[in-house]
Amino acid sequence: MQLLYSLRGAVWILVYLLFILAPLFALLAGSHPPTRDFWTEFSVALGYSGLAMMGLQFGLTARFRYVTEPWGEDVIYHFHRQISLVAVGLVVTHPIILVAVKPELLALSNMLEAPLSAHFALVSIFSVIALVVTALWRAALKIKYETWHLIHIVLAVVAVTAGVVHMVGSGFYLVDPWKRALWVGLTVFWIGLLLYVRIVKPLFMLRRPYRITEVRKERGDTSTLVMQPEGHPGFRFRPGQFGWLTVWGSPFKITGHPFSFSSSAAVADGRIEMSIRNLGDFTSEIHEVPVGRRVYLDGPYGAFTIGNPADMHVLIAGGVGVTPMMSMIRTFADRGEKRPVILLYGSKDWDSITFREELEALKERLNLTVVHILANPPAGWTGEQGFIDAEVLKRHLPPPFADHEYFICGPGVMMDAIEKALGEMNVPMSKYHSERYSFV
Amino acid sequence: MRRLFADRLVLATGVIVILMSIVFALSRALG
Repeated sequence: MQLLYSLRGAVWILVYLLFILAPLFALLAGSHPPTRDFWTEFSVALGYSGLAMMGLQFGLTARFRYVTEPWGEDVIYHFHRQISLVAVGLVVTHPIILVAVKPELLALSNMLEAPLSAHFALVSIFSVIALVVTALWRAALKIKYETWHLIHIVLAVVAVTAGVVHMVGSGFYLVDPWKRALWVGLTVFWIGLLLYVRIVKPLFMLRRPYRITEVRKERGDTSTLVMQPEGHPGFRFRPGQFGWLTVWGSPFKITGHPFSFSSSAAVADGRIEMSIRNLGDFTSEIHEVPVGRRVYLDGPYGAFTIGNPADMHVLIAGGVGVTPMMSMIRTFADRGEKRPVILLYGSKDWDSITFREELEALKERLNLTVVHILANPPAGWTGEQGFIDAEVLKRHLPPPFADHEYFICGPGVMMDAIEKALGEMNVPMSKYHSERYSFV
Repeated sequence: MRRLFADRLVLATGVIVILMSIVFALSRALG
């Protein structure tokens, strides 16, 4: 499975590079415009490549399960953010080099008399800069996530469309009709990816709604939404995967929120549970969701799921990061599996341990060991305290450590620390899986 | 660690695109 994922991942990297570079090198085919100096041609190549990368950003967030599976959705979003900086760098460098080669382009008279395509270039570049500024400093600019999301989509569409209009309008390379058709077709494809996520998928979700049948209060300011498919059989998922949930409003709403499934994947009636902690944002309203409300789910997604049955499964959870682990443990119980499982579970204090009683009960049915690590232990606590680190892992795991499979979910700081600790314990990367629940 | 891999992929993509842009520009400039 791991090898298949690696192969698929490598193929998608090649496809990604092909989509960036092939349209550029296609310009070298057919009739050629007059030769120019190296720097002008270099700046043009950067502009074309940067625009192609920006267009492909729509594909990275289009939630194509088959594409994202080898990496995990959180890594794809991380790549989306980081590669956008490269794309913006290329697009902005394009005019800088042009102006350096021909400083007269900056003269006011030239700017006023510039063709319309040059104005579209400016619109594209300013949109791109606004995209980056609002994405990097959204919190500092005090922009609400939902508002930012809408702005982000509008700016991205404007930046790419204006860029292509500039390119076609300049017409230097796109004299041949087939080259114009290629680039316009690519743009239609990029915008089509956006329409797929925003219109086609919501239409599909609209036809497959879910009904809230129970809202269960859990320890640790957490609520479990129990959802039953309405008029359809639901979908099958693998334990550890997640879905995008829209509670308030229609599936066409711009912002959905990703949550792990906490229920067993072995349930036959399509019932899905998501356990959501109140983190002070929109999650503070989850406990108020009325029973009977219609909600929409897009899923399942994610590559964070159980591995080789022969390996000991080490589940490392911080806070509400226990939800995908709970799905795994409940699934093992329902399937009657006896593989050894150790749950290392970091919580704030004893009272806020979500699923504490159920985990105790499940130990009777499974080969399950639960180790609680408390940041604020009660008086007389003899268990682990503080945070999960390499020493805690070594105290509770039988060697050789590289033989186990590790699953990590929790706050970013915790995950960074544990991934580092596993590296120090010589656990190869192929043996651990992680999912960052704050990836959007 | 997977994010580190993604970061390296970003860097590699950037380098490849710049190198290919140089190839494109050279092939054009040198006719």
